Amino acid sequence: MSFLQILLQLTGGVGYTIMVTVACSLTGVVVGLGVAMLSRLGASWLSAVLGAFTFIFRAVPVLVLLFIVFFGLPNAGLRVPPLVAMMLSLGVIAGAYLAEVFRGAFDSVDASEVLAAEAMGLSRFQILRLIEIPQMLRFAVPGMINEFTTVLKYSPFAYTVGIPDVMKEAMSLSATTLRGVEIYLAVGIIYFLIYKLLVTGVWALEKRTRIPGLTG
Amino acid sequence: MTLLSVQDLKLEYDGRTILDGVSFDLAQGELKVIMGPSGSGKSTLLRCLNRLTMPNGGRVVFEGRDVLGPDVDERALRQRIGFVFQNFALYRHLTALQNVTLALRHLRRMPAAEADERALRQLARMDMQAHAHKYPAQLSGGQKQRVAIARALAMDPAVLFFDEPTSALDPLMSREVVNILHQLRDERVSMLCVTHDLYLARAAGGRVMFLDQGRIHAEGEVDELFGPNADPRIRAFFHQELQQAQAAQPISPAQPMDGAQPVDPSGPAGSPER
Amino acid sequence: MISFLAQMLEYWPQVLSGLGNTLLLAAVISVTGLVGGVVVFYLAISGGPLRRRLTEGYISFFIGTPLIVLLFLMYYGLPQWGPKLTPFTVAVIGFTLNVAAYNARYLMTAFRGLDPDELQAARAQGFSDIQIFQLVILPQVMRLSVPALTNQVILNLKDSSIAFLIQYAEFFAQMQDLAIRSFRFLDAYLVAGAVYLALVSVVVVAARWLERRYVLPGVRRAR
Repeated sequence: MSFLQILLQLTGGVGYTIMVTVACSLTGVVVGLGVAMLSRLGASWLSAVLGAFTFIFRAVPVLVLLFIVFFGLPNAGLRVPPLVAMMLSLGVIAGAYLAEVFRGAFDSVDASEVLAAEAMGLSRFQILRLIEIPQMLRFAVPGMINEFTTVLKYSPFAYTVGIPDVMKEAMSLSATTLRGVEIYLAVGIIYFLIYKLLVTGVWALEKRTRIPGLTG
Repeated sequence: MTLLSVQDLKLEYDGRTILDGVSFDLAQGELKVIMGPSGSGKSTLLRCLNRLTMPNGGRVVFEGRDVLGPDVDERALRQRIGFVFQNFALYRHLTALQNVTLALRHLRRMPAAEADERALRQLARMDMQAHAHKYPAQLSGGQKQRVAIARALAMDPAVLFFDEPTSALDPLMSREVVNILHQLRDERVSMLCVTHDLYLARAAGGRVMFLDQGRIHAEGEVDELFGPNADPRIRAFFHQELQQAQAAQPISPAQPMDGAQPVDPSGPAGSPER
Repeated sequence: MISFLAQMLEYWPQVLSGLGNTLLLAAVISVTGLVGGVVVFYLAISGGPLRRRLTEGYISFFIGTPLIVLLFLMYYGLPQWGPKLTPFTVAVIGFTLNVAAYNARYLMTAFRGLDPDELQAARAQGFSDIQIFQLVILPQVMRLSVPALTNQVILNLKDSSIAFLIQYAEFFAQMQDLAIRSFRFLDAYLVAGAVYLALVSVVVVAARWLERRYVLPGVRRAR
């Protein structure tokens, strides 16, 4: 089996890798936005809770949380499918990091613009939707890219909960062909390519939606 | 005795001629000012003299040796030259004292106590000994300037180069710089000063050279260059500079700005109607 | 939970040794990763364009690939070619390569914030390139990068749990063992999580202290 054939065999798992990465990244964005927006409401008890949340989920290792969710929860009667387990662990942790990114991005929105919108008579929700979020998302792009690539690099853990991603393919291939070094080298190259694609893709998207003078 | 002799220095970059045959001498203990509009190649000229930039042609003889040759010990050369940068370029992470002792300790291998003592003397020479333990961020522009000069003097160089010493300072501070130059001149320190500041060029008191488009167009005593028979290019430069200077500086009666131009067709510079 | 904790107490030697191994690994790779990072950083800013390109390529590659792939390559792949390394060795090599790349990237970011005039002034004073690196560049970039570098230490601590997958007998591996023995998976993993939380908290406190101590008056901090 040539190196090229190894590569092709492994690409079978790429779809799952991407699925896991996308699912966990989206979870992260949702969680992060939720936390960031809630923390802006100002209630001090809420800030304390959210602060504890972000601290806890940035202090616990991904693997440990994944095992808690997938192998631990059944003890409490809750069985979670593998992908959901990934989302509840890697996704939520990504959310904790993204919450910080989004908070900083929200703070970068010019307060006087919000004031002007209030003066115009727009509702709080409208201001959020029409002014703050469009700007804040653009400010958050570098931080989001950073976090999404981190999610990609922790996605191989999916193999421990049975998802047949690239890592899992590699392990079974390695066991049968005993060509471990070449296989894992190929895996590294595949992940690197996905990483490059992801980064280039998001930057291209950012360029399309760029507003002159906002982030330049 | 001639300390520095620059002969036909040429530099081209990116197809543009920056220095087009610059020649001049600097004697021991002398102060010379190179004056000219921005972009005339003044700063580049200084940088060629200590090989921070390499010229394409010409000769530079410093302390009797050709310094542009292939076998020149650049580092040794640079230690003989004290360079004071336009933006002072003090090391941000070091105190004023540490800025001055850095070269003493790591180039001269001086023990700490001796280096400190020497540095404090140089700082005192610049009236900065009280600020020895402050960081550059805690000093004003003029104070940073003095520390930069002390740092340059500490290694006991053969010559001091000043690159636009007043452009990062406000006009009041510029007068301080002139005082420092006078002080050092009285101590017989050899100095080469590059500037587009008219006031500095006149008040410094040394011979002035006018550099424009890479060539020296005139050299002489202050009054020759600023007088009524001056080169027309220089006068054109004056008009420009004077207009800018008047816009920036509050005109005070004590300022010697108008002295030599009674026949200037555009009207006396310091007259109250302006 | 109480019965689990009781069981855990019974096995305290293993748990303690596991904890020790976690801290050992985290400490070692933090040091080697930092030293490696400084070396890579030096290579990235000096020398000719080829060397700089290669170094950037190294940094890019090790930031863009999952750590676990590197570890598996060395632990499960290499033995098929001959050399069989211990989990600890594999972990140290793999982590160091990875962490050094990240640290080099942080230092490079800080380097871009330096005043180029200071570097010119150092050259004008007659310092050699190595001296300029040692006396002017490194002290500044290190201080500017304290937040990023300490954050990396925290990551090292958390990521040490990955070594469990290559059979390194660190803390999480021991807790996994206990979980299987006692069938109390949830309890075991929750306790593991709590312990990591405690460890990270200690490092965070140390990091904040370090940040306060090394901030230069008036100097901007890198994010």
